[in-house]
Amino acid sequence: MSALKVDNLYRYFGSLQAVNGVTFEIPHGSVCGFVGANGAGKTTTMRILATLDYPTLGAAEVCGINVVHRPAEVRRLIGWMPDHFGNYEHMTVLEYLDFYARALGYKGAERRKRIQEVMDFTDLVPLADRFSNKLSKGMTQRLGLGRALLHDPQVLIMDEPAAGLDPKARVELKHLIRVLAQEGKTIFISSHILSELGEMCDSLLFINNGRIVHHGDAETLKRGSDSVGGVLYDVQVDGDPQAVSDWCILQPDVKFLEARKHGGRIRIDVDDPAKAADVLARMIKERLRITEFHREQRNLEDAFIDILGRLDQGQEALTPPPLPPAN
Amino acid sequence: MSSPISHPTDFPDRFSPMLVKELRQGMRAKTFIAVFLSLQIFLAVMLFSAGAASTSEHVGSVVSSIIFTLFSIAVLVVQPLRGTGALSSEVKGNTIDMMVLTRLSAWRIVMGKWVALVSQSALLFSTIIPYLILRYFFGGMNLVAEMVFLVVVFLTSMALTAVTVGLSGCHSVIIRSLIPIFGLPIGMWMLLMVSLSSRLMGSSDFMEAFNLDSTESRVGVSVYLASIIYVGGNFLSLGASLIAPAAENHSWLRRLIAMVLLALVFLVGFHPDVEDEVVVLIVAVVSLPAVIIAFTDSSLLVSTVCAPFTRRGLLGRGLGWLMYPSWASGILAGLAISLLALVSMVVHMQFRGNNFDEEELVALFAIFGGFLFPAVWQVFLFKGEGQRIAHYLMLLVGSFILAAVLTGLSDSMDSGAFLWVFAWHPLAFLAMLEEKSMPDSFMLAAVFVLDLVLILILLIKVFKEMAAAKPVIEESLSNPPEGA
Repeated sequence: MSALKVDNLYRYFGSLQAVNGVTFEIPHGSVCGFVGANGAGKTTTMRILATLDYPTLGAAEVCGINVVHRPAEVRRLIGWMPDHFGNYEHMTVLEYLDFYARALGYKGAERRKRIQEVMDFTDLVPLADRFSNKLSKGMTQRLGLGRALLHDPQVLIMDEPAAGLDPKARVELKHLIRVLAQEGKTIFISSHILSELGEMCDSLLFINNGRIVHHGDAETLKRGSDSVGGVLYDVQVDGDPQAVSDWCILQPDVKFLEARKHGGRIRIDVDDPAKAADVLARMIKERLRITEFHREQRNLEDAFIDILGRLDQGQEALTPPPLPPAN
Repeated sequence: MSSPISHPTDFPDRFSPMLVKELRQGMRAKTFIAVFLSLQIFLAVMLFSAGAASTSEHVGSVVSSIIFTLFSIAVLVVQPLRGTGALSSEVKGNTIDMMVLTRLSAWRIVMGKWVALVSQSALLFSTIIPYLILRYFFGGMNLVAEMVFLVVVFLTSMALTAVTVGLSGCHSVIIRSLIPIFGLPIGMWMLLMVSLSSRLMGSSDFMEAFNLDSTESRVGVSVYLASIIYVGGNFLSLGASLIAPAAENHSWLRRLIAMVLLALVFLVGFHPDVEDEVVVLIVAVVSLPAVIIAFTDSSLLVSTVCAPFTRRGLLGRGLGWLMYPSWASGILAGLAISLLALVSMVVHMQFRGNNFDEEELVALFAIFGGFLFPAVWQVFLFKGEGQRIAHYLMLLVGSFILAAVLTGLSDSMDSGAFLWVFAWHPLAFLAMLEEKSMPDSFMLAAVFVLDLVLILILLIKVFKEMAAAKPVIEESLSNPPEGA
C-alpha cells in the first residue's frame, strides 16, 4: 500500500482546470518533491490530499484511506504545512503549540510531554515565551513544522516550506526534513528551489498545467536520459580553435561552446549514449586531440525547462492524462 | 535535550481549546484593556461627582442613566465590533485550515470565539455591580426593572456579538462592517420596541417596561429574549457554515429548527390569548434569518454530506434536498420555510376574522418577492463557488434603498405612473401601494405573477444543479460512512 495515491484526479474551479487528470503514487518512508510553476496545480493537489479541498473527479488516498470519504481518519495521519500562515497576536510560541495540542485532543501530562518533544526537535525552546507574530520567517516555519508534527503524523505534506527563507534557515529546515525522513516519515514537499529538492528527495514529480509531466528520481534527471531532455557530454579539445569550431559546424548534435588558448570546449547533446560514442569515434578519426571527455551533470532547473520545452514542441506528457470528464 | 519548559497552567483541560486560545489573546488585546479601564475611570469619576451633588433628588436616576449608557456602549457597540474580524482574521491568516485539520469542528471554532467575547463582556458586567450597589444609596432605584434591563442589555450584547462573529466569516468587508455598525443596532432596537410596545404605550417611564409586573411586560421581554437568542444562534451557525469544510453540514439543523419553530408558533397561535400581531412578529423573526441564510448557502455538495439522508430510502433522498448545505438545497428549503411562514400568517389572520385585505396582501407578497429578488440576481451576477451571503445582502440592501427612493420620488411627483417602469422589482409595489395609481386587485395579481416568475427562474436553476449532482448522490450510496 502506498503512503499517497492519487488516481486520475481532476479539480475545476468554474472553467479553470487546476488539476487535470493527475495520477501518481508515493511509497511509505520516501521523500517526494513536487515541482511546478506557479498555478501548475501543486497547491490544489496538496490541499486535496490534506482534505482541505475536494476533487471534481478522481480519487486520492492517504495510507489507503480515501480523503473524501474518510477525512477525519486521513487528518490523523497527515501533518500539513501550508506555504504561508499567519501567527496569532498576543500569543506566545508555547501557547500556540499548547492550543494546537489541546485541539488535537492531548491532555495534561501527555500534552506537556508532546509539546516538549516537538519544541526540542524544532529547537523552539529558547523562543517559548516569544510572541508568535514577532518571529522571523525561519522561526515561523519551524513553529509551523512543530505544529504539523504535534500528533506525530505518518505523512507530512509541505507546500513551499522554504519559500522566503534565508540560507541559514533553509539549511536548518533541510536538516529537520532529513531527520524526519530518517525516522521513516513519508514527506511530500513542493518547492521552487529544485537543487534543494534534488538533495533531499528520493523522487521528483513535475507538474505543468495540472498534468504530471515527469515522475522519477533526481539522479536520472541530472544524468539525463531519453525521456528527460537528452544526454550531455562536455569535451575539451586541444589544437587550433578555428579548426575545432569548423569541424563542429559540420557535425549534428555537436556545439562549439568556447575557444581556449590551445583548442576549445565543445558539447555533445544526444538522446542516446550510443550516439555520443559515434561522435567520439569521429573525433578520433579526424585526429582531434581530446584532453577531457565527461558526461555532464545537468542541474534540475535545466531538466525541468527541457521537459517543458519538449512539451511545448508538441511532444506528449510522459504520463498522458485520460480524457477529461463530461461536464 | 533542552531544559524543560514551564507550561501554562492558566486554563484547565476541560475548557474548550478555542475558548482558551481566544481568552489568552482577548484579555491581552488593547481594545479590551482600553474599554475595561475607561469604564472603571468614567464610573469612578461619575460616582465621585454624584456623591458631591447628592443633595439633588434626581441624582440617583442620573447616575443610573450614566451607568447604563457607559455599559451599553461597552457591550452593545465595542464588544460586538470586536467580533467583526473574528473568523475573517483566521481565514486571511490561513490558520483556519490548520484548525480544521485538528479535532475542532467549525461549530466549536465559532462558539469558542463567541464565548470568549461574551466572557469578556461578562467581566465588564461584573465590574459595574459595585457601582450599582453604591448607586442604590442615592435612592429612587427601581431595583427589579434596572436589573432586568441590565440583563436584557447583556443578552442583547451576546446576540449582537453572535451576529458579528457569524458574519465575520464573510469575505466582504462591506458586509462585515456596515451591517454590524448600522443595521444591527437599528434592527435590535426596533425588535425591542415592538416587543415592549404594548407596555410602553401607557407609560411615561421606559424602565417600567422591564418591571415584569404584568403579562405584557413579561411576554414582551420573553419574546424579545427568545428572538435574539434564535437570531444569534442562526448567525453563529452561519459563521460555522462559512468556514466549514464541505464535509460538514451545519445547514440541516438550522433549517429544521426554523421549520419546527414555525410549526410550534402555528399551533400556539390558536390560543385565544395570543394576539395576531405577536404571531406575525414571531413568524417573521423565525423565518427571515432562516430564509436569508438558506438562500445563500453555497457549499460544494459531497457524498459524505448526502450519505446520512440517501441511505434512508426515497424519503431520505427527498428530505436531503431540503437539508444539504448546497445552493439548490438552500433555495428549496428557503422556499419551503417562506411557504410555511406565509400560510401561518394567513391562517391565523383568518382564524381571528382579521383577514388580510388586498393592500396588505400586496405588501406581504412584495416583501416576500423582495427576498426572492436578490436570490435570483445573484445567480446571474455572481457565478462560482464563492460566498453568496455577501452578494445577497448587498443586493437586498440595494433593493430596500431603491424601494425607499421610489417611495420618496412618488410622494414628490404628481403621478406615480413611472413606478410601473420598476415593476420588475417586487419592492416597487410598496411604493405603488402608497401612490394608489392602480386598483389593489390589479397590483395583487401583478406582484403575485412576478413572485411566481422569480420562483420559476430559481427552480429551473435548482433542477439543473440537482441533475448535475446525481453522481454525488450515487457515490453517497456506494461509500461506507466514516468510522464504519
